[in-house]
Amino acid sequence: MDVVKMNIIENILFNHSVEPVKYVSPGDIVTVNVDRVIMVDMAALHPEFLDNPPVKPFDPEKISLVFDHYVPAPNIEIANRVNRLRKVVDRWGIKDFYDVGRGGISHVLGGEKGWFRPGSLIANTDSHTIATGAFNTLGRGLGTPEVMNIIATGKTWFPVGETLKINLENRIKPHTSAKDVFFYMASKIGDIPNKNIEFSGNGIEYLNIDQRSSISTMCAEVSAEFAVFPEDKILKQYMNERGYMDYHAAVPDTNAEYIDEMSIDMGKIEPMVAMPDRIIGNIKPISEIGRVEIDVAVVGSCANGRLSDIRDVAEVLNGRKISDRTRFVVTPASKAIYEEASRLGYISTIMEANAMVTNPTCGACLGGHMGVVGNGDNVISSTTRNFKGRMGGSGAKIYLASARSVAISALKGHIAGDLNE
Amino acid sequence: MNNINGRVWIFGDDINTDLMYPQICYTLPQEEKPYHAMEANRPGWAGMVRKGDIIIGGRNFGTGSSRPAADNLKNLGIVCVIAESINGLFLRNAVNSGLPALEIHGISGIAREGDTIVIDFVNSIIKNARTEEMINFKPLPAFLMEIIENGGIINILKNKGMLGKPL
Repeated sequence: MDVVKMNIIENILFNHSVEPVKYVSPGDIVTVNVDRVIMVDMAALHPEFLDNPPVKPFDPEKISLVFDHYVPAPNIEIANRVNRLRKVVDRWGIKDFYDVGRGGISHVLGGEKGWFRPGSLIANTDSHTIATGAFNTLGRGLGTPEVMNIIATGKTWFPVGETLKINLENRIKPHTSAKDVFFYMASKIGDIPNKNIEFSGNGIEYLNIDQRSSISTMCAEVSAEFAVFPEDKILKQYMNERGYMDYHAAVPDTNAEYIDEMSIDMGKIEPMVAMPDRIIGNIKPISEIGRVEIDVAVVGSCANGRLSDIRDVAEVLNGRKISDRTRFVVTPASKAIYEEASRLGYISTIMEANAMVTNPTCGACLGGHMGVVGNGDNVISSTTRNFKGRMGGSGAKIYLASARSVAISALKGHIAGDLNE
Repeated sequence: MNNINGRVWIFGDDINTDLMYPQICYTLPQEEKPYHAMEANRPGWAGMVRKGDIIIGGRNFGTGSSRPAADNLKNLGIVCVIAESINGLFLRNAVNSGLPALEIHGISGIAREGDTIVIDFVNSIIKNARTEEMINFKPLPAFLMEIIENGGIINILKNKGMLGKPL
């Protein structure tokens, strides 16, 4: 028979297979060696981990512990639990430990620290681990019990899903963001459990790593298994600038197979919004939703709390004041982003507009702290999810949009995607 | 694995993890958590569930977070989740909690809420006890059934001596 042609995702799974195989293809289940395991502070809130932690990790050098969801601890219960979790650092001999004030959101920190090497495979206790796809890295969010198994053994399994190839063409418009590209894509493909996305196309070269990360992160919200970008000169430059030279990027074989292929002209996309309660089947252009007044605006999260997002917010606010009716919380996604945003003057611009800048955390996105919303609040957020009750009270209405559109909405006091409308 | 014979609850498309395990659950005592399942979308439902009940969902069941949502349904008394399609992370979490989760295209039409269905894992057939309508399903891989039959991945790790003393 002909040699099987594998796409990027299949190649990475193939390269990590524990058993020697000739190829992998859709329908297979492959047992893989994992290059890095990331555990976040939420493990402390799992009913099992603190009482029954793995005796020892398969390799302490390949394990990262990142406190990101509840930093700093918002209550006594969590403070006590993360105190217990901290003890695992010495017990296991973990070097890559990022406590309060030292790191940031794991999906952002992992890029900064060189944990996401092109061609590698990552497991993480958080569901937005698919974010690693921007780095040509396969990442899967997994439950704490499964991550305990990987910590003990260094291995796990993945089903090989069918892969959808999406060609991103042309440059996005100046007032449109990568988040809008995701929303547009999601409105076209709907939910795709068990399937992968591989990005291609001439428009990728116009997307920086922040923008690619925004898109790959949000692919969790269409239930994709994996979503990856190719390695190109922009990713090479990102890695090289940080001294991360030791990797082997994954490329698709010539004539690699895909279940389907579609093209998206990024130059035609307008600012979009996900209406409350769900993303799937619930996306509209902002220009079509009519007037929605806003009580709370939030910029942050693994999807859109990156330097490019903070820059967008600062550029929108630039000397203006937000609406009197709106509270605006801005959360840089990592310490490095916060420092750089501060150095560039973005933080003071945002604060002068009467927005509040918090420390890096996942906080508001999961309704944990640093921006919990109440019943009756109309919320516009650049975070990842608008599930009913996600950010606090189940009577809040959560609209999702780009950081830029959130900032414009905060200024105007109602949802808007055009500053000059 | 033995047959499961249970009463059906019907849920729609895109039922997400945060509905099954709302944020408030993270810091509640373990025994209180299950009673908050689905309180945002179906208030009062959790109190009506009996041990041995089955959920039939629509498309994209379990989309969302890595939180122990499947575990919460299991602790409420749910013994199997079936849906038109299931988010990959949720399916893994269900199996790793010892809760069977089956993706069956066409399952939505097989039962009304309150019907009893019989899930035959040996022959991979589901039968509605009222209508006698049947549907075949693709069984879960053997290694996943083994995890379920052991009551979840934690039990397996414990039995192998891979879990240590509390932190």
